[in-house]
Amino acid sequence: MENYQKGFFAPSLFCCNGFRSCSAHVYRENIIKKQKTILIIEDEKSLRSAIVDILHIKNFLSIEARNGKEGVVLALSKHPDLILLDLIMPEMDGITALKNIRKDKWGEKVPIIILTNLSGPNEQFVDDLLVHKLTHYLIKSDWKLHAIVKKIEEILEI
Amino acid sequence: MKKKVITSVSNEIIRNLKVLAKEKEVVRRKLEITAKELAETAKKLATTAREREIVRRKLEITAKELAATAEKLAATAKEKEVVRRKLEITAEKLAVTAKELAATAKEKEVVRRKLEVTAAKLVVTAAKLAITAGKLAVTAEEKEDVRRKLAVTAEEKEDVRRNLLVTATKLAATAEERESVRRKLAVTAKEKEDARRKLAVIAKKLKKSHETLEHKVLERTKDLEMARVKEEAILLSIGDGLLVTDEKGIIIIMNKTAEKLFGKKREETIGKIFSDTILLENEKGFLVFLEQYQAKTILDDNTTTSVSTYYYRRKDKTKFPMSVMATPVILKGKVIGAIKIFRDITSEREIDKAKTEFVSLASHQLRTPLSTVNWYAEMLLAGDVGELNDKQKKYLDEVYKSNQRMVELVNALLDVSSLELGTFIVEPESVDISKLAQSVIDEQKPQINIKKISFSFSSEKNVGVIQADPKHLRMVVQNILSNAVKYTPD
Repeated sequence: MENYQKGFFAPSLFCCNGFRSCSAHVYRENIIKKQKTILIIEDEKSLRSAIVDILHIKNFLSIEARNGKEGVVLALSKHPDLILLDLIMPEMDGITALKNIRKDKWGEKVPIIILTNLSGPNEQFVDDLLVHKLTHYLIKSDWKLHAIVKKIEEILEI
Repeated sequence: MKKKVITSVSNEIIRNLKVLAKEKEVVRRKLEITAKELAETAKKLATTAREREIVRRKLEITAKELAATAEKLAATAKEKEVVRRKLEITAEKLAVTAKELAATAKEKEVVRRKLEVTAAKLVVTAAKLAITAGKLAVTAEEKEDVRRKLAVTAEEKEDVRRNLLVTATKLAATAEERESVRRKLAVTAKEKEDARRKLAVIAKKLKKSHETLEHKVLERTKDLEMARVKEEAILLSIGDGLLVTDEKGIIIIMNKTAEKLFGKKREETIGKIFSDTILLENEKGFLVFLEQYQAKTILDDNTTTSVSTYYYRRKDKTKFPMSVMATPVILKGKVIGAIKIFRDITSEREIDKAKTEFVSLASHQLRTPLSTVNWYAEMLLAGDVGELNDKQKKYLDEVYKSNQRMVELVNALLDVSSLELGTFIVEPESVDISKLAQSVIDEQKPQINIKKISFSFSSEKNVGVIQADPKHLRMVVQNILSNAVKYTPD
């Protein structure tokens, strides 16, 4: 019940009488099916919720973090299978979070998708980020949600 | 009577006996005392005897030790004696050896002196021999000389005789020549006088024209000086930093703005080599040798003006960006130097930076709400949260499409900004342009069909693969086609 208690699923969205099962139910299913866990580090609530929903529909477990600082703590304690990372965030930005995660022995090998709307004059810095083979860079407004999920599945070889 | 006597005797005897007894007692006591004294004396004697014994033993021990010491001393004395004898023997031997050595030394000395004497004699003899040899040589040479001189004198006599003959002949000829020369000189004197008169006239004319010329030159020089001063004043007052170097890169002019810009006085820099005095750095902080760079550009094209951005480090180590415009100075087709104009572009840089930051932030801020609309509309349209009826689908599709257009507009805006900032990046890769065009056509086929436009596509069979940025090339084809569709009248 750890995930449920920490509020990683919004209980109001997941209830047994609708088209989705309740979070406790989901959690039990996840344990049985050994679903993949995705950590979403995103400060914009509406975007975060959309991703959580689509991941849920596509049978993934998700953990949410509202900024880079929370993200690093959750990544290093929960060891998710993949991380979606925004760049511009309060408290700690995505670049710092990425560096902190990559410093860790486990974090060195986890696939990370930088999912941001930041582009344009920062091409060089994007190249610097992508030196790591397990780091990907997607522009939110150019990518459909389903395409993002497909990319995740591709990376996790599902 | 007898009885009486007997009694008296007995009494006496008794008395005597008593006396005796008393004496005995006295004696006994004395004896006892004596005995006691004797006993004490005996004890004392015994004690004394023991002490004596102890003392005796100690004495014995001492005696033994003394004996041992004496023995050792005796032994040491013997050894000393032995050593002394050996030393004596050694001393004797040494004395003998010394005597022998002294004898040998004396002999050697004698021999050495004899040798010295002999050597001195030899030297004297050698010197005498040398002198004798020299004298002999001199005598031989003198003899030879005399012989030669005699021979020469004979020859000379012969020569003199011949010369005298020749001289006599020459003297006769010279007399004739002298006469002819005297005649010629008389003629030349007249000609000289004529020439002198003519020259005097020319000299007068020249003096006049010289005075006129000098006057004119003075006037022109004044005019030129004024013009030069004016030009220099104009150059020095230019608002941008100005430096002029000669063909060797030596600074010959530096204006006030340049002085301020580089924090260096004109006196410090003029006459020095530009690249040694003004140290410019590139973006990475490496020193740039503008002279070399410039020489190259000038070689390529005599009129090239190059504009570049460099950094200059002030004396306080802070640095600022400056734009440098370098133009060669060309005289009769030859580069005789360069003009360099410097401008502090710190504020322009700051504006550029602010622009960049604005663009990157705007992209993020504008795209976020668009992404939200996109993703939720997409989920609704995909039926992820339940099926929609047809009308709902149609309306939502409109929302989704408009939003997509908005995303494209923002992207276009960003592209324009990056073009302006010079950060627009083209990533060329191998592109099959025919395939790319076909995919754009497929995408717009519905619009073409709706407007009932007759459309055909043809392409050469082997257009092949070209190097282009597929994203941007696609946009070009897309825009051409969509404009053609949009503006074709119904």
